[in-house]
Amino acid sequence: MAAPPLRLLTAVPLCDGHDSAISTINLELARHGIEVVYLGYHQSVAAIVRAAIQEDVNAVGLSSYNGGHIVFFKEVVGQLKAAGSGDIPVFGGGGGTITPADARVMQRNGVDRIFFAGTPLDRIMAEIKTRYARPAKPDRKFKGDRALARAITLAECRVGSPNPATAGGTLRPDAKKSRPKAATTAGKTFVIGVAGPGGAGKSTLIDELTSRFLQKIPRGRIGLLANDPSHPGTGGAILGDRVSAIYAQDDRVFFRSLATRGSLTGLSAAAPAAIEILRSSGEFDLIFVESVGVGQESDPFGVFHGRKLVDAVLYVLPPHYGGRIQLQKIALLNGADLVVLNKCDDPRAHAAKAEIQTRLDQNQRGQHLHATTAAKHSDLGVDRLFAVIAKLGGLDPARGGEKACQMEVSP
Amino acid sequence: MSSLGRIADAVAAYNQFVTAEIARARTDAKFAAELRARWAKIRKSVEWTQSPTGTKLPRLALPDTAEPGAIADFLLGQGLPGEFPYATAAYREMYLDRDQGAGEEPMRLFAGLGLAEDTNARFKYLSRNQKSLRLSTAFDGPTLYGLDSDHEGVLGKVGEGGVAIDTVEDMLRLFADFDLTRPDASVSMTMNAPAPVILAMFLAATKRRFGPGCLQQLRGTIQADILKEVQAQNEVIFPVDASLRFLGDMIEWCVPNLPKWYPVSVSGYHIAEAGATPVQQAAFTLANGFTYVELLRQRGVDVNRFGPRLSFFLDCGLDVEYLVLGRVCRRLWSIGMRDVFGADAKAQLLKLHTQTSGRSLIAAEFQNNLTRTAVELMLAYLNYTNSCHSNSADEPFTTPTEKYALLASHAQSILLEESGLFKHMMNLFGGAPGLLALERQVEQGILDVFREMDTLGGVIPAMEQRYQRSKIQEAGHAYEQQIYSGRRPVIGLNRYVTDEPLPHVPLARTAPRKQRLQVERLKAFKKKHAKKAPTALQRLENVTRSSGNVFGELLDAVEVCSLGQITACLTGVVGKFRPMV
Repeated sequence: MAAPPLRLLTAVPLCDGHDSAISTINLELARHGIEVVYLGYHQSVAAIVRAAIQEDVNAVGLSSYNGGHIVFFKEVVGQLKAAGSGDIPVFGGGGGTITPADARVMQRNGVDRIFFAGTPLDRIMAEIKTRYARPAKPDRKFKGDRALARAITLAECRVGSPNPATAGGTLRPDAKKSRPKAATTAGKTFVIGVAGPGGAGKSTLIDELTSRFLQKIPRGRIGLLANDPSHPGTGGAILGDRVSAIYAQDDRVFFRSLATRGSLTGLSAAAPAAIEILRSSGEFDLIFVESVGVGQESDPFGVFHGRKLVDAVLYVLPPHYGGRIQLQKIALLNGADLVVLNKCDDPRAHAAKAEIQTRLDQNQRGQHLHATTAAKHSDLGVDRLFAVIAKLGGLDPARGGEKACQMEVSP
Repeated sequence: MSSLGRIADAVAAYNQFVTAEIARARTDAKFAAELRARWAKIRKSVEWTQSPTGTKLPRLALPDTAEPGAIADFLLGQGLPGEFPYATAAYREMYLDRDQGAGEEPMRLFAGLGLAEDTNARFKYLSRNQKSLRLSTAFDGPTLYGLDSDHEGVLGKVGEGGVAIDTVEDMLRLFADFDLTRPDASVSMTMNAPAPVILAMFLAATKRRFGPGCLQQLRGTIQADILKEVQAQNEVIFPVDASLRFLGDMIEWCVPNLPKWYPVSVSGYHIAEAGATPVQQAAFTLANGFTYVELLRQRGVDVNRFGPRLSFFLDCGLDVEYLVLGRVCRRLWSIGMRDVFGADAKAQLLKLHTQTSGRSLIAAEFQNNLTRTAVELMLAYLNYTNSCHSNSADEPFTTPTEKYALLASHAQSILLEESGLFKHMMNLFGGAPGLLALERQVEQGILDVFREMDTLGGVIPAMEQRYQRSKIQEAGHAYEQQIYSGRRPVIGLNRYVTDEPLPHVPLARTAPRKQRLQVERLKAFKKKHAKKAPTALQRLENVTRSSGNVFGELLDAVEVCSLGQITACLTGVVGKFRPMV
């Protein structure tokens, strides 16, 4: 069995939109079997550091093209260190804008490596692999999110290893001991599995629900587990869900990207362990687990197999699902606790609503269709859906959840 | 069918019309006689001039033919300079007698560095030999993203890559001592997501200096092309629909109030720099332009009032397609505007600004960049661009230093004034076999992209499906692969490499002390207006929540609010842009 893939975080600094170099690098990294968590362009130091910690990456790569790199890189290194994650090396490049003299200053400031203009991609790849590949080990020094993140990394390594005993780590992370359990929510984490075809707007919907959570539950914490496919040939992956998760940039959000690493269920094989790790930390009021956009028969959350992984399943559909016959084939519509028609600004949505509700009525489970336009700012449909979720999950009043539960649920 | 499908159909129909007219010219004796008579008149009206070495030359070169089919082909397929479909040129004389100071100066030199006074000094340095006043402004990252210089984490970026502008007071310093009401003055601002705020600041500053009457005289351009930002350049703040509303509000205000201003510069430059091929650059840019026309038409603005206030901006690299890109774009735009949108002659004209390619410049043996830029300049002028910026050779390392900015400007003077190439004759190559072959292929490529976007529902639906972004990224990736594999020769990088170490180039960087000064100035401004700002922001919020014209309110708000305060207020109402991978 091959070693688990190298995980990197890549990003472009604040006030910089030059993403063409990083896009090429991301593709190359994935082609070389590396899992790339891409954070996007115009990213603050805080966002980069938070993502590096929660994703427990082997290294952070920054592509900077419009100046200010000396200060910016220094801040990233400094804040990683301050957060107890100084072990994560920072590398980067910026074409000709980072001169050799700058690079010397940056390296004195703790930056691991600067790649100059004209360095062949193959050489960059080879060097990244030799510099940053190292197996993840349990580390008692890690606290807080990094401890949770490392436990998830170890779980990912274990499921991919033929001999779990030698893969390092225990299922229960030190995280549990290292941080005070939030008394009010112990054992009350509500976990929602989100499924639906690609293009339904799952990520946007989850992000908008995250924003409602942050508004309505002012002291709560939310966990997000985003599953994305690994490339079947190379084993690499571009995990890009963070790019459009604009509300996930908050310390009250724990966001982890999981590559499927050959699992065909729509979830990483480590997802059950990851859910358990977050649940048992006692920190989270709500967790969303986003599956890869999957087909009609799929059942990523074990709805039809007795051992249900999550507390509720949310199934998202776009208006262009392809008609009545297609609806009949979607097994999860029978088992989903929440069914959402998203993109309701589409002219096809009106007919789709009636058709889907008819399909749900066949199940005789009293399922009600929720209509949202998640891409619209402050969409009332998302407000209503969140109120339903808050009620269903009994989001804790002590964390400000009372208001959320009492939000009016109007048709 | 989106308008892109109709435009592609209109171009195909126009090409069929030209073919039919050529055939008719060869079979219909009466039509042939009319054409010959017209041609004789045109030829007779051409004036003659003389080169410094004594060669007599026509000021307008025309195909040497009397055959009616060939005449019809040139007049209808290409058009005389300044005549539909404008492939030859947008205007008649253009660069003739540039050495004698005739006509409009086409050179624009983009500048922006440090604080407002630094850029002001650079403007003075660059314009000291210019007859007309051409001030083209680059802004720093925080300004482009609508953030104040005191925003958390941006200090190192203040004044880097462009000028830092937070308030109307910075705007006053930026253009201090320049008479912006001169008829030959024009100001250009490369500003997109916060364009309405920055234009409002510019107008507030200008009114303070020249009085409210100056609005009639002000000439210039603000880029304000949010579609290409979403597709390529990534400087987006607000969701797309809100961005388009703010833009529409600004344009609607500008059309009657700033009659000489270009409130949008539809830009392919950043699309190409992000990786697009020349054909993709042209296709996406034209399609974006047509999308703005549709949006304005939906708001009830007459295409003939708004059409002439649009301008275009293309990249010019070293690929062969650049020899004709501007020509093809003018032709397609005029046909689409005339035959699909019913625009009149003034609104059919694509007015083009070109910049040489930044991406083609490399750090290794960087003095070769002088030659690259010179070749690109020649290609740009062979397209009869209306204005042009030439890049500085040191750009792979730094915001241009004085030395290389001056060399870049001299390159244009050498081409237009010193060399005889452009100053004696118009239409050097129009109708030449190589150009025609390229034009046909490039045009077909553009129409294919139009049709593909049409099947996706048009520009905005395609954008939501990240069509343009994927295409641009794929092309960018292919370009890099070609360089690394050596299939795309880059001298000094993958061919004829001399292993010269990277040179020590002087850098134009903003000193930390200046960055702190900018923050102090901003704090003082905020303190001075602490009482009035909340009221202004509340009014702005109310108008944004209602369906009123946001631009009208911005004109007041900028008097007492900073860019960052205004951005935060607007984001509070309309939300933030959700980026795409």
